[in-house]
Amino acid sequence: MRVAVPEKWDLEYDVVVVGWGSAGTAAAVTAHDQGAKVLILEKMAEGGGNTSICGGNIIIPKGKEFIEYLDTLSFKTTEREIIETFVEYALKNGDWIREMGADVQVFRPLEVAYPTMTAGAGFPSVRGAETAVKYNIKGTPEEGKPSQRLWKFLAGLVAKRGIQVLAKTPAKELIPNAQGEVIGVTAEKERKTIHIKARKAVILTCGGYENDPRMKWDYMPVKPLMFLGTPGNTGDGIRMVQKIGGDLWHMSRLSCLIGFKAPEFEAAFWVSFLSEGFIFGDKYGHRFVNEAGIEIHEYYRELSHFDMEKMEFPRIPLWAIFDEQTRRRGALSRGTAGYNRDLYSWSLDNSAEIAKGWILQGKSVAELASRISVEPKVLDETIARYNRSCKAGKDEDFGRPREDLRELEPPLYAIQLWPALINTQGGPRRDKDSRVLDPEGKPIPRLYAAGELGSIWGYLYQGACNIGESLVFGRIAGKNAAAEKPWA
Amino acid sequence: MNSLLLDQRNFVVGASQDRVWRLIGKVIFSSLPGLENMEILDENTFRALLRTQILGFRVPLKLKGKIVDMEPPNSFSVKLFLAGPGGFFKADQKVTFAMTPVEQGKTALACKAAVENMGFLPRLLLLGEARRFARSTFEAIEKRLKDLA
Repeated sequence: MRVAVPEKWDLEYDVVVVGWGSAGTAAAVTAHDQGAKVLILEKMAEGGGNTSICGGNIIIPKGKEFIEYLDTLSFKTTEREIIETFVEYALKNGDWIREMGADVQVFRPLEVAYPTMTAGAGFPSVRGAETAVKYNIKGTPEEGKPSQRLWKFLAGLVAKRGIQVLAKTPAKELIPNAQGEVIGVTAEKERKTIHIKARKAVILTCGGYENDPRMKWDYMPVKPLMFLGTPGNTGDGIRMVQKIGGDLWHMSRLSCLIGFKAPEFEAAFWVSFLSEGFIFGDKYGHRFVNEAGIEIHEYYRELSHFDMEKMEFPRIPLWAIFDEQTRRRGALSRGTAGYNRDLYSWSLDNSAEIAKGWILQGKSVAELASRISVEPKVLDETIARYNRSCKAGKDEDFGRPREDLRELEPPLYAIQLWPALINTQGGPRRDKDSRVLDPEGKPIPRLYAAGELGSIWGYLYQGACNIGESLVFGRIAGKNAAAEKPWA
Repeated sequence: MNSLLLDQRNFVVGASQDRVWRLIGKVIFSSLPGLENMEILDENTFRALLRTQILGFRVPLKLKGKIVDMEPPNSFSVKLFLAGPGGFFKADQKVTFAMTPVEQGKTALACKAAVENMGFLPRLLLLGEARRFARSTFEAIEKRLKDLA
């Protein structure tokens, strides 16, 4: 589709960055430090995107063997030279952060929650896994959660340089010239259309499409999917690139936890358990998985079973059923990450959520079954069978480890859970230089992308790699965009 | 003040050092009776309520813990700050776990709990309770780890 070149430009910059999260910051700061005049466009009232509400960890591998690890995880969906470039730069993520005035600390949690956010590799049996190391911005809990510290640091880099940010200004279209070069952006500011000239390049860093229902239904492998991340990610960058003939990749890929969706909140709440007294049942009350063994970002794979006779996903939604000790141990949604983190404070003993009806209670298995509309006989057999596994110290059905087994005794509780996106990974296909490609593999001149918008994670996702990737390809995009010769 | 030993315990578990490291966090938390309302403030800091028997009464203690000196898979310490209801007493404790591989894939564990700071009166009244609590917790940790090994 041809987009008309405007007769008059409202604003002129060397580099225009669309979207202000970690990738946008790395791109803008790098381009600025190379001498470019940079503008950041942000559709929301504030920047941060998913960066400011994620787990806040950054991958900094400890060796080039990380290439083998990621190459295996990619399942050939990402060219090896792109992975090599990523690792080359990711090895220096810590140096870059220190150059920029902050420092990092190793993420070394004691593993007490289910699911577990591992310190290192999400797939420890894969060659090179030992080189996966997560870090976060050095600081204490009093200075904020890791993602808050990360965003404070990144936003500070932009402020310190005086890089202009136009908030509440969503980009609408890319503007190519007759040669197909992207020479500007159309945006909407206070309901008026503005045309912004980009003398050198445009960099798209405006995230994925986790809050676009239509795109999710079209591309995602399980349906429906709730979202945990920013409501601002609605696939804008994808549509802009499609309009000018860009290619797409990794569109069915996602980073997906499980969450509770309260009707009064737009996003879902990420749910995890601080004690082993819980199981998952499908919507009919059948257990279906080793609940303690799911890689935290890959939950959807366990929920994707489709029943061809009933024409449904029987595990969506699922029920988490838990005991009194688990109920009292700590909040099911702990505010570690997610858009709702700062909007609602979940009660520590989950009592407020029971009162709201978000968590359902049963003095007996039969009572709980009736409250969640599951056949009492089925739920009774599910729990009895699970309890027999606990007694035997061996889960014959799903191989849940002995240390993660504890019998469930009434009173019991249930919460309805959905697959809940942290982010999608798909978007414009790009090369190792962050250039956006057309369907023939040719770069679209003066157009770059980085971050979750068309990330390089095409099959299995290693935790902390989205932030790591944003910083890497944001830097590469910023450097290459600043090095372009101005077209005018 | 000099630290005051509450309890120490040494035992051998029939599991590798790596496995013990992977288990130890969950085992500690599942071995603490009456641990409720836990908040994980970041990966190394937590807050919780600990309901425990003191002088025959069930008392809720505010607990804040910070994991320090972490050297996976060899050792770590937990610095604990405990406060009784209405500021009745306050205490700083340090609990250290060291894991050393021994013969035939087994691991030796050394657990040590010490009070680092506690007022005179609480020490007079509660030291015995604190010692009993440390001892029973270490016993529970030993039992659970041996069960799982």
